[in-house]
Amino acid sequence: MELIGLLNYAVFMAIFIGIYSLLALGLNIQWGFSGLFNAGIAGFFAVGAYSSALLTAPESAVHLGGYQLPVVVGWIGAMIAAGAIAWPIGKVCLRFRSDYLAIATIGVAEIIRLVVKSEGWMTGGARGVNKIPRPFGDLSYLYSQLAYLALVFAIVLVVYWAIERQISAPWGRMMRGIRDNEDAATAMGKDIKARRLEAFIFGAAVMGLGGALFAHFNRSITPEAIDPMIATFLIWIMLILGGSGNNRGALLGVAVVWIIWSASEFVTDQLPTEYAIKAKYMRVFIIGLLLQLVLRFRPEGILPEPQGTAGSPEVKTFQKQESAAK
Amino acid sequence: MLKKIALAAGLFSATALASNAVQADVKVGLLGGISGPIAAMAPPMLDSAKLAIQQVNEQGGILGGQKLEAVVGDSACNPQNGVDSATKLVNIEQVAGLIGPHCSGSVLAVANSVTVPAGITLITPSGTSPEITGLEDKGQVFRTVPSDDFQGRSLARTLLNLGTKKVAVAYLNNDYGSGLANAFKVEFEANGGEIAGYSAHEEGKASYRSNLAELSRGGADTLVIFDYGDGTGLTILRQALENGFFTNFVGGDGMKSDAIIRELGAENLTTFIASSPVGEASNSLELFNKAYIAVGGNPDAIFASNSYDAAFLMALALEKAGGDATKVSEAMAAVSDGQGEAILPGEWKKAVELIAAGKDIDYKGASGDLNFDNAGDVPGSYGLFKVEGDAFALQQALN
Repeated sequence: MELIGLLNYAVFMAIFIGIYSLLALGLNIQWGFSGLFNAGIAGFFAVGAYSSALLTAPESAVHLGGYQLPVVVGWIGAMIAAGAIAWPIGKVCLRFRSDYLAIATIGVAEIIRLVVKSEGWMTGGARGVNKIPRPFGDLSYLYSQLAYLALVFAIVLVVYWAIERQISAPWGRMMRGIRDNEDAATAMGKDIKARRLEAFIFGAAVMGLGGALFAHFNRSITPEAIDPMIATFLIWIMLILGGSGNNRGALLGVAVVWIIWSASEFVTDQLPTEYAIKAKYMRVFIIGLLLQLVLRFRPEGILPEPQGTAGSPEVKTFQKQESAAK
Repeated sequence: MLKKIALAAGLFSATALASNAVQADVKVGLLGGISGPIAAMAPPMLDSAKLAIQQVNEQGGILGGQKLEAVVGDSACNPQNGVDSATKLVNIEQVAGLIGPHCSGSVLAVANSVTVPAGITLITPSGTSPEITGLEDKGQVFRTVPSDDFQGRSLARTLLNLGTKKVAVAYLNNDYGSGLANAFKVEFEANGGEIAGYSAHEEGKASYRSNLAELSRGGADTLVIFDYGDGTGLTILRQALENGFFTNFVGGDGMKSDAIIRELGAENLTTFIASSPVGEASNSLELFNKAYIAVGGNPDAIFASNSYDAAFLMALALEKAGGDATKVSEAMAAVSDGQGEAILPGEWKKAVELIAAGKDIDYKGASGDLNFDNAGDVPGSYGLFKVEGDAFALQQALN
């Protein structure tokens, strides 16, 4: 039993790493390759999760929907919805310089969270959307988890491949060009606003897909899941730690941070009970400390961007922005 | 591949059976919102659950003298951490049952993706969302707190009976507040009452005067508040009193908090009533209060008695199921179905003897009688409380 339990836990961790990988890859398109500081990941996560949930869930008196479409349609719908929401937001916000964009996106995420909570006719309000179908959900515990893991991994692979292709294409070089020197890119006749909007929508759609995978895994989505700590800042830490501008770095960062986040509870549980409860807060502290250390000693992350961006202005200003964002 | 896993599973379960025999502890998971938005409410709830476990161990232990051990997990009140922590408790700690999580969103996610697939029984002391009733849970999800539907509806009927026909409703915009407010509104309007103002508010703001002014515009002189009395609800009540927006105030169980009397003074609260669950066998609550005060707890802390009951019921169910995790859900329904010899809080030894003798028992909890229905819900019996002296006193029972 013990080893089966260990396997169950490992599979679960891998599933969550897969879901968070999509969020981190989406952020990498926006920040890593295009220099867009999106601090509203939770908002796009929520749009994706709710869109897919409403498209696939059975009818309910408390929220919109009852369409019961196939899960695949829900996932595609999640990407489209998240991208569609990103379009007007990008139109308005992308003209801001990066630190103002961060503030604007935090605001947008908060607006999305409050709309989800308040517009009960659509989202079920605080009750959320339930009975969302989970692919392979009828199998036994271990097998249904393994099957879901396979699905998540296949999706992450496809998304990873698509992003890698896009980034090594001329589009990717252009985006990095815009990121590193906007004036030079303008001088070369690039339409910066339109290109940035593309990157913003592309990234948001990937985040929306991550949200959809999360909702279907839990068969439910409630506004409690749209927590900036766990759905925005944790992902930033994953990307910065792994190495922004490098997709493999992003994936590595997700794995490292999630394993530390999840497994640190075992360490704190070894303390006597009266401290163990207080020590739960240590996990949040450890993650913050980790970020500080990485920014101080290895600002380019564990796996830096191939060309090397160490010392680029973005990395230096990040520290400032991160403290401002908090 | 699958065959290999199945083979491995077989082998491991065989070895696990052997190793279980020498293991002296029975573990239960105690999953609470330790960090996150209900951080202030969680510690008293965990402490009262631990009191139940302490009583079990003091009175001879569980399953023939074994020690009952609680492994604490942090759900942070969100589904991500809830599911993560529950997966660890179920798979790594191999708990026999789960007490918690505290927030409805976590309960839904944990039940759906961890405990029901794994065949572990879950009992939450504070997940009040009506959605929990409809979970496809194979009867493995219970709660010791009534669904918001019950309280909201019975409060609406009682107010109408008392002659209050027109009210304004202010509710905290979370599952607790909106669940109660929704149920209240539907029932109140269906029975001929008028809702003259209905608005949600976010927690943690310094001023709610604009919300209150908006609500009072409807012309009602009674304000119904669904919020927490040691949080935003206190601010709302204070500002409504200070500015004279309303004359009468009605609260849900979250508003029956000593913080209100302490902060606002009993003399200002003559027109304030709050509904709250009451135990029918009322010395159950006294027994719990006495025991909880003895270990340094505050028995009026919100959900403390529900949390104690959840832990005690889990222990009773484990004892009755003989430690077999797959039978806990059946046993849970049986130990509190309204039939059999009454067991009051703390009467562990008596319960064990009755179970050993094959007799039927019925737990009468500190938070109510807790007779589970088919969905694992408790109907809840409520009373209206008013402020008398420096404490809340029962005014009348709700129907």
